[in-house]
Amino acid sequence: MKFHPEGSATERPLVSLVDDDESVRESLPDLLREFGFAARAFSSAEEFLVSDCIGQTGCLILDIAMPGMTGPELQQELKRRRQEIPIVFITAQRDETVRPRVLEQGAVECLFKPFSDTALLDALNTALRLN
Amino acid sequence: MEELPADEIKRLRRCNNDLVSVLALPAMWSGAEPSQIVHTFLDALLGMLGLDLVYVRLKDPIGDSPIETVRIAQSRKQMPQPQEVCDLFNRWFGDDPQKWPPLVRNPIGDGDISIVPARLGLHGEIGLLLAGSQRAEFPCQTERLLLSVAANQASIGLQEARLLSEQRRVAKELDQRVAQRTTELAQTNQELRREIADRRRAEEQLRRSEAFLTEGQKLSRIGNFSWLVPTDDIKWSEQLYRIFEFELGVPVTFELIGSRVHPEDLPLLYDMIGKAQRAVSSFEYEHRLLMPDHSVKYLHLIAHGSRDNQGRLEYIGAAQDVSQRRLSEEALAKARSELANVARVTSLGVLTASIAHEVNQPLSGIITNAGTCLRMLSADPPNVDGARETARRTIRDGNRASDVITRLRTLYSKKDLSPESMDLNEATREVTALSLSELQSKRVILRHELADDLPAVTGDRVQLQQVILNLLRNAADAMSAVDDRPRELLIRTECDEGDRVRLSVKDAGVGFAAQAADKLFEAFFTTKSDGMGIGLSISRFIIEAHHGRLWATANDGPGATFAFSIPCAARAWPTPKTRVNQADPLTGAA
Repeated sequence: MKFHPEGSATERPLVSLVDDDESVRESLPDLLREFGFAARAFSSAEEFLVSDCIGQTGCLILDIAMPGMTGPELQQELKRRRQEIPIVFITAQRDETVRPRVLEQGAVECLFKPFSDTALLDALNTALRLN
Repeated sequence: MEELPADEIKRLRRCNNDLVSVLALPAMWSGAEPSQIVHTFLDALLGMLGLDLVYVRLKDPIGDSPIETVRIAQSRKQMPQPQEVCDLFNRWFGDDPQKWPPLVRNPIGDGDISIVPARLGLHGEIGLLLAGSQRAEFPCQTERLLLSVAANQASIGLQEARLLSEQRRVAKELDQRVAQRTTELAQTNQELRREIADRRRAEEQLRRSEAFLTEGQKLSRIGNFSWLVPTDDIKWSEQLYRIFEFELGVPVTFELIGSRVHPEDLPLLYDMIGKAQRAVSSFEYEHRLLMPDHSVKYLHLIAHGSRDNQGRLEYIGAAQDVSQRRLSEEALAKARSELANVARVTSLGVLTASIAHEVNQPLSGIITNAGTCLRMLSADPPNVDGARETARRTIRDGNRASDVITRLRTLYSKKDLSPESMDLNEATREVTALSLSELQSKRVILRHELADDLPAVTGDRVQLQQVILNLLRNAADAMSAVDDRPRELLIRTECDEGDRVRLSVKDAGVGFAAQAADKLFEAFFTTKSDGMGIGLSISRFIIEAHHGRLWATANDGPGATFAFSIPCAARAWPTPKTRVNQADPLTGAA
């Protein structure tokens, strides 16, 4: 099921992005809005955790390697807080052992940078269907 | 017939008795010494004739001085020393008895004394006898007779004694000579025995040494050989036959040896024959043997050339079966290479990952922006402002990716160039010496053609050696799959045009496709499954920093030749030297 951007602004699911890379934080929210989502970007896991977005976030796009708390650590932290937000991991490191590990921990998808916009949209749709 | 008076009869009888006694003397003297004969003779004469003194002078047949003896009647009170009497007689009498006076002054008493001389021997050759008596009638006729007979008897006895004594002396001397000769012979005999024993010991020792050598050769798996080059006459020690597993004593030929040498190592054998034809002073090889049971042995061979008495070249050498050492070395090398591989793969992995990470971040931005841009432009109405913004970001991310590559390149130029005047031949020899075992293990036959009159170049020794090492390794790697021809690698230095020096590395490897020639030196271009594709790019970077040129050409035959050419004279090197980039080339972080 594809999300239709024609829906009302309040109906637009919030997709939050946590990535330490600025160019991703700049470019991805624009694409997400083109997809029809609401988008918020955070430069670190800690920043996301102290924000008021956790409860509203329909899907979390999460970078794996970050200074400070890493993506998988944030995943564990959210579990610990019983915040069951579907997560789509993105990473610039093509480490094939990471993907099964995070999927096992409940992630919806793990995309290697650079990924296509359709691959991302498919992952997001899967994630939001879970809600 | 006239009757003789009783006194006369008595005197004659006494004379007769005395004669019998005198005649009996020689029987007593049989076998006696001359001195004994003289003593008994004088005693008998003294008593028989009632003499006052009797004197004998014997001529010594050998010595010069005569032997004198004196007897004086026991009744005489005044006893002179015999020597005094002798001296007196010697003074009075010469050698001629005819001239002697019949009466002389009594040497042993008062008044005169009648002296009767008698020759001993026909001409007095034995000596002289003097009989003296104070009696006025002395000598009477019978006394003269008795003296004469007695002197005769004494002469005979002394003559015999002398002969006997001479015989004894001769016999004794003969005995002595025989004894001496016998001793000498015994000594010689003993010496001979000792020599024989020594020789036996030496032979035993030699035999033992040979046994030791054989055992030693067996144990150390070393065999000896000689090779007379003009006749190809090859001799092997027993152990070498054992190593090659040929029947002892079969004639050794190169055909025979070639049948055992591992087919892949046959070029080494031909190379060795070539060296011998060029009469090199010595050679050393390590090659494999392929045994009939398909097992492989490793042989280490060293030989030195010499000339025999006919001036023919002969190599004398030793060959050791180093299979066990080689196997452990290989195991060690394998472990080491696995370790190195792990380390390299790890560091390579880390490097690749960080390159990928750094490149993928901007790429990700580019793709996302491009996607967004397309979506914005295809919207109705198109969001041109948004599209412009995303396009701008696309360009920015593209530049970011390009920066990453630039930073990567500077990683390899981080070190300052340290130009020095250097001998490129020497630098080359250092590199090849270090690479020799690696090249040998890859079955590469390395040949040098280094120009004798190569001028010095100015450059960074370590960096230029890195380039040479890189070219050597590339060449060896290019031949790793070559099995149908010798893996020959030729490294050559020569003077180049325009006051430059050229170094080239020619291999017999797979070569490269013509269309790849201009890509060879690009970073990340590689034909190797395990290569990064950085080596040639870095090498070219280094050579260009030396104001030189690095290029590749395809050989007429198989393989390729990589060469660089750098100027001899120093050019203006950048001073002061500046560090290009001390920051982490990938992240830009210090």
